[in-house]
Amino acid sequence: MQLRELFVPSAINLDLAAETKDEALKELVSCLGLDGKSEGILYKMLKRRENLGSTGIGRGIAIPHCRSLVVTRLRVAFGRKLSGLDFKAIDEKPVRYVFLIVAPPLEVSNQYLPVLGKIAQFGKEADVPESLAELSSPEQFIELLEAKDL
Amino acid sequence: MDQQLELLLEIQDLRMQRRELTDGSTDLEAEVFDVKIEDAIRLLDEKVEELAERLARGIRDRYRRIADKAPRVVAPVINGICYGCFVAVSTARASEADRNLRVESCEYCGCFLYHVG
Ligand SMILES: [Zn+2]
Repeated sequence: MQLRELFVPSAINLDLAAETKDEALKELVSCLGLDGKSEGILYKMLKRRENLGSTGIGRGIAIPHCRSLVVTRLRVAFGRKLSGLDFKAIDEKPVRYVFLIVAPPLEVSNQYLPVLGKIAQFGKEADVPESLAELSSPEQFIELLEAKDL
Repeated sequence: MDQQLELLLEIQDLRMQRRELTDGSTDLEAEVFDVKIEDAIRLLDEKVEELAERLARGIRDRYRRIADKAPRVVAPVINGICYGCFVAVSTARASEADRNLRVESCEYCGCFLYHVG
């Protein structure tokens, strides 16, 4: 399974309205099309994961992630906030690119950790922050993943 | 959704997070996200205990009995199948609107049940 096959255009937001980390988490969770109750539970779990340590891995990239019973399959979303969000990232720099990954406790294909690892690796590539800044459509985001053979 | 069930759901998700930190994502969390694993486990244990204390007496007793024996205390029910034991559960007869409005257990594996989707 390629990374790009997991991203649907409706879960790629290149202009987040969020002004804070919490708002960004909420906005990305709302891209997944869950019911309100499930959204609330998922948001709470993501916050709890952030309490263990920020998922801001540096260079403007954050990867909030968790498993939860409220989803039935692996779901991903991408959000961009060019003016930056305070994510308490490892390098203390503002976060501009947020990759959300959520998975159910049990997955037939066990993709959650490999996907998390792949996105983390992608985020560490030197040219990625600049490429993400230049995107002008969700389709270009998919093309970027394709160019990286992801 | 029943508030007790919501608490159980949260507890289950946190227990899953804890289990994964010790068995699965340890390296990734420590190396990529700089998580201090031991501190994180302690925090998760404290949170789980705090939430468990908020469960009603009878449910809490049942929770503790299951939690001592198995990693999973709440099993998802998807299309009428309990994913704790993969047996069709009779509660699947409940209409969609009634689902998750009270705390139910699987008669086969004993897990609390959460209807997904
Ligand atoms: Zn069962």
